[in-house]
Amino acid sequence: MKTINNPIFHFFLAALTVVCLPLFLRSGVLASEILIFGLAVAACNLLLGFTGLLSFGQGIFFGVGSYVAGILLTRYQIPVPLMLLLSVVLGALIAVAVGWLSIRRQGVYFVMLTLAFSQFFFFLAYSFSGLTGGDNGILDVPRPVIAGFDFTNLWSYYWFVAVIFLAVFALMLRTTQSTFGRTLSAIRENEARASAVGFPVRAFKIAAFAISGAVTALAGALHAMLIGVAPLSSIEYHTSEIILIMTIIGGSGNLFASLLGAGTYMLLADVLSTIWPRWLLLLGVALIVVALFMQRGLWGLIETLVSHITATSKRTPNAATERPLHRQADGGKA
Amino acid sequence: MSIHNEALKRSGHSSGKHAPAPHPVALETSELTVAYGSFLAVRGVSLSVRRNSIHSIIGPNGAGKTTLFHALTGRVRPSAGSIRLDDKDISHTRDDDRVRLGIARSFQVTSLFPNLSVQENLRLASQGRTPWQALAPWRSINHNKEAMATAGEVMERLSLTQVAGRAAGELSHGQQRRLEVGMALAARPRVILMDEPTSGMGVDDIEAMKELIRSLAADHTVIFVEHNMGIVMNISDTVTVMRAGQKLVEGTPAEIRDDPEVRRAYLGNMITGDIA
Repeated sequence: MKTINNPIFHFFLAALTVVCLPLFLRSGVLASEILIFGLAVAACNLLLGFTGLLSFGQGIFFGVGSYVAGILLTRYQIPVPLMLLLSVVLGALIAVAVGWLSIRRQGVYFVMLTLAFSQFFFFLAYSFSGLTGGDNGILDVPRPVIAGFDFTNLWSYYWFVAVIFLAVFALMLRTTQSTFGRTLSAIRENEARASAVGFPVRAFKIAAFAISGAVTALAGALHAMLIGVAPLSSIEYHTSEIILIMTIIGGSGNLFASLLGAGTYMLLADVLSTIWPRWLLLLGVALIVVALFMQRGLWGLIETLVSHITATSKRTPNAATERPLHRQADGGKA
Repeated sequence: MSIHNEALKRSGHSSGKHAPAPHPVALETSELTVAYGSFLAVRGVSLSVRRNSIHSIIGPNGAGKTTLFHALTGRVRPSAGSIRLDDKDISHTRDDDRVRLGIARSFQVTSLFPNLSVQENLRLASQGRTPWQALAPWRSINHNKEAMATAGEVMERLSLTQVAGRAAGELSHGQQRRLEVGMALAARPRVILMDEPTSGMGVDDIEAMKELIRSLAADHTVIFVEHNMGIVMNISDTVTVMRAGQKLVEGTPAEIRDDPEVRRAYLGNMITGDIA
């Protein structure tokens, strides 16, 4: 099981996905959306899977990134790399503010606070229509042309997104494996103990929010350039919901599971929507199945399959050596 | 107040005078009071815990031991009075900040990171002394060599090296209780606070834990709340008895065992155990 839960293996799987998507999908939009939502879901996973925070506020950061792209590219013609940097910074700052206030409460109250912030930012965007375009959003968001490289074509934009995706995915993998990531896991496992051993738990949660907000805003900005619009729907509660559903479907144990969740959701939506206009109903059924029978998500299912396959080789030597070792240690002088 | 003064005299302490260095009193409370609304769970308790001594706090249920313990760890804030660590006022210092100042604790109900390995539990506990370093998402877990080394030393001391890679939640109860103490040790504290360290342990494990606590006093000051009178009377240098949120009496185990007030508080039949 250690092999499939190795971060290098996860990066390899992510890179393989990036290479394979153009081979199997005809739609560049769908392929790019999988990677973009893969980023947003990985950022959500950092909060849910690694820190134990169920945030309904992810749509805020996604929408902020989307509006930053829309406003800066259509009204100020700011270079795309600078715009992306600003979306990351603003996403992180807003996430710090939302996180700082929300983590003051735990459990259901924390969830309700993030939900309330989600609605608050939606109405802000709706009300300040001069800035955000209100119901219409911001139209004609251009795709980038950087240093002579033209990414306006759908598939060339896919590779632009792919490079950013792999770079950010690698950084996030590094984050989860770092002493910071391990501390987040410790907080998720036992917050009281984490505090008792000396960790300022709030600061760590806010830092997790900042990283999550930054990455989600980046995804939002990339999405606005992909579809050419910064729509009001990107900051809606529904976006938070979609990101959370993708996170749960993929599994919250590791970051590749996030890409798996995003990919599965997007592909299912694509297929089901052509079969039946009310496809969201079928998606609801799929989510019920995951919640009832696959609580570790699709990645958990893969883990179970792999452990079944390797069970025979695992059973023989280890079971015999582990028990005496246990007893010996137990009986050792303290 | 008279009870406090008398008790301090009996235990040979003086709360008013301190030698410059090293300070003979590791931890001291003065008229410590903790209120939950209008209810005073701890009322004006003054403690003086000598450096490198084993100081136990006992009392019947509802005596205020746990609240006093929480006040010392920083989990609850005192309503009045003060707590001093090495003559520094820590009354309003947060629990995580107290770790950096040299106080560590163990929990009554085992409280570990169950899905993380034994080594990772101890590394995190050691990292807790320099927590801000851990905020850097680019630093690997091997960056803090001292924390890794401390985790190794504690595992060695507690005979947990052989299960270093095993998830803490998979250990036997005895091993988990040892790891619980190890989590406090890994912070390299000057003062260790232990909440019922033998809670739920079997006879063999209790004996091992008793020896472990005794050995801790060589380089730590140990304060523990315990119901097992055998252990309290065996290994304590000083015993503080509490009743109804107040300090009833304080003294050596022999003094406590013979104290008529203590016998009354415990209905005469709980103060047992050999005196070492």
